[in-house]
Amino acid sequence: MSKTYRIKKGFDIGLAGRPLTELSDASAGSTVAVYPLEYTGFKQRLKVTEGDAVKRGTELLENKKNVRLKICSPASGKIKKIIRGERRFVEKIIIETDESGEAERFGQYTADKISGLSKDDVINQLLSTGYMAFIRQRPFGGIADPEASPKSVFVNAMNTGPFQVDATVAVGVDAEGFQAGLDILTRLTDGAVHLCVGPEAGEVLKQASNVQVHVFKGKHPAGNTSVHISKIEPMASTDVVWTAKAVDVVLIGRLFLDGELPTTRVIAIGGPGVKKEFCKHYRVNIGGELGGLLSDALVDGEQRLINGDALTGETVEASPSLRLQQSALTVVPEGRTRQFLGWVEPGFNQMSFSRLCASTFIGGRNRKWKLDTNTHGGVRAMVFTGYYDKVMPMNIMVDYLVRAVLAGDTDESISHGILETLPEDYALCEFICPCKMELQEIIADGLKMIEEEGI
Amino acid sequence: MKFLLDFLDKERPKYHKGGWREKIEPLFEAGDGFLFTRDKVTAKGSHVRDALDLKRLLITVIWGIMPCFLFGIWNAGHQYNLNTVGIEPGFVADVLRGLFIVLPVVIVSYGVGGFWEVLFSCVRKHEINEGLLVTGLLFPLVLPPTLPLWQVAVAVSFGVVIGKEIFGGTGMNLVNPALMSRAFLFFAYAKYIVGDVWIATGETAIDAYSGATPLGIIANLPEGTSAVQALNDAGYSFTSMAIGSMPGSIGETSAIACAFGAALLIVTGVASWRIMLSCVVGLLGVSTLAKISGVVGMGQIPPYYHLVMGGFAFGAVFMATDPVSATATNLGKWIYGFLIGALVAVVRIWNPAYPEGVMLSILFMNVMAPMVDYFVVEYHVKRRLKRG
Repeated sequence: MSKTYRIKKGFDIGLAGRPLTELSDASAGSTVAVYPLEYTGFKQRLKVTEGDAVKRGTELLENKKNVRLKICSPASGKIKKIIRGERRFVEKIIIETDESGEAERFGQYTADKISGLSKDDVINQLLSTGYMAFIRQRPFGGIADPEASPKSVFVNAMNTGPFQVDATVAVGVDAEGFQAGLDILTRLTDGAVHLCVGPEAGEVLKQASNVQVHVFKGKHPAGNTSVHISKIEPMASTDVVWTAKAVDVVLIGRLFLDGELPTTRVIAIGGPGVKKEFCKHYRVNIGGELGGLLSDALVDGEQRLINGDALTGETVEASPSLRLQQSALTVVPEGRTRQFLGWVEPGFNQMSFSRLCASTFIGGRNRKWKLDTNTHGGVRAMVFTGYYDKVMPMNIMVDYLVRAVLAGDTDESISHGILETLPEDYALCEFICPCKMELQEIIADGLKMIEEEGI
Repeated sequence: MKFLLDFLDKERPKYHKGGWREKIEPLFEAGDGFLFTRDKVTAKGSHVRDALDLKRLLITVIWGIMPCFLFGIWNAGHQYNLNTVGIEPGFVADVLRGLFIVLPVVIVSYGVGGFWEVLFSCVRKHEINEGLLVTGLLFPLVLPPTLPLWQVAVAVSFGVVIGKEIFGGTGMNLVNPALMSRAFLFFAYAKYIVGDVWIATGETAIDAYSGATPLGIIANLPEGTSAVQALNDAGYSFTSMAIGSMPGSIGETSAIACAFGAALLIVTGVASWRIMLSCVVGLLGVSTLAKISGVVGMGQIPPYYHLVMGGFAFGAVFMATDPVSATATNLGKWIYGFLIGALVAVVRIWNPAYPEGVMLSILFMNVMAPMVDYFVVEYHVKRRLKRG
């Protein structure tokens, strides 16, 4: 029996262009790409050169810090180009695909066999395929450390952010793979695997077995894993917890069932920069080009493509390929227009969490807003407005935590609870901040500092 | 507005590195930002942002001050006309006279305060902060209308520089800069401020008329007289004090005008209702205790009279709630507000030297606010650790 948690604090920004649950197939392009930088903390050692032929699953890079962790090719073909960026880091590897579809073989197990696997077997396979990156570790949110023994594993099947993939859609295409993935996760911990779903989750999620299902109701960030952990099993300072997204668990399961790397994954495309009929879910080749799809889908004007949701995602290049860990693409128009005497305007057409824009009193809370990337104001010194705490459902005093981080006081930051969170948990605070502070960056720096110093 | 935008775009490079005007770039940016919203886009993180910025927040405070400001203009003119001319010359004449009295004070306050703000922004190379918009208007409203303008200039300089800028500007200051300016005047030029309030200057000092404020009347109560009786004899009832057509500082005589401001600030969520409410609770609590225990003089007026007397309403609504100098935690706000109210009552009832205590109570609690917050935060952290 699942337990329901109600999250009272939070805010839905009402961004226009919510992806429908309809699923389409996107056409495959002639190349796929790998983005090694999405593997956080990965020290690159390149194992291929331009012109090499690779199969799906062939090792492209290995991690110098732990050579068991690899990054593999998502398709068979020939290395076309290796693009390097700052400090010679490999930013992108482009592979020209061929028709052969040849794949490297990894361990293949039937659904029954999976529950008999040892932790080491599972870890080895996840490391050698690079799929370990789907499993993240708290505190800090980096790729899970294979040596750690997590207290429990949290699987996130929610999409309260603007916008994230709808787990019911993503899991619906391969329920068998999802269950296998969950079974794999149960091999990794002596504790429980918690599956956190939203109130509208489909049966395919609620019926999952060998896990504890929890239902979370409420506005964003009710769907954030930090919130789930804090409500279900609050972390003590020495605890290690692993987390994964339901949409990625499907791929993990498929890898073990098939013994080779899966070829497609489901992503949601939405946002005010996408034409309405294109705001939905797509099945895309992993690493596949999105340019063809986007050329029809985008609204005219300068648009920003975001890997992930509009609150936490990272900006990507103009014609991107699907990143391995990407499950959403949000498009937001760039907001470079200037308005005359904007401060006099009562704000009928402006969206605000506060009650300082007239729109709040005339139904603005229910409107769908075509927000753009304008900052709506200059950066100012931090003022205690009390807004942050109104959207922070966890027991954290955000103002004081941020001040502790800015002051470089790691002990104080820890006692305020920074280790229970990730930068993404402060995205809404950053959204509503009247002083326009970069809170996610501040928290990320704070976490990095603590990680380097050691707890 | 295209031509203006083009003009600004053409001018902007002149203020960038290299030219002599580079030093006053913040001034250009402030003017530019005043005319047009920014074209600045987010770099990363939250790619979309809320429409609220500090400018809108502070301008809403200004709208909140407007009832007091407008009433203050009329009242200053009205009191002047009433007491110097001796007849009631009518609404228009009152307003015109009021403008003549109040506007110079406001202009000096904004002008001198603005000068310091711009100077510090240019030296520090950061954007000009809008905090001055509020400080520069709040300060004139807590002044007696008769104050010489040079004192306004000196006081606002002290308040802005010592009260705010040396700490790093808006957001970093310890005490409310407007009150800091007021306190400076109080201690530096006490005779202009303490005691009877001068209504308005005439041609010479001899022509000036002084009228006692209600608090002054009770402070100098002859023995054996009841406080309420003395107020009534001077023509003050609860209602008339609430309306505020009486001598006093420019903007703080009318509790009703403050209530309008308070309503706007609470509806928009700009100022903390917790602080306002707890100020009232503190004031009523202590004055009720005084009344019950039979303290003579000020102790004997009905406690709710305190709400409309002196600068309490204005202080509780606009000064105590300044988010920078007040407490930040919710529990802290209750404590902070309550102690302000309680201190005001203590000063009014038990202090024979000075009948009004709002300014010093708020300043005192401004200084104490970080300590109150410190204990609240410690308590919170301890509870967190216990849970883990």
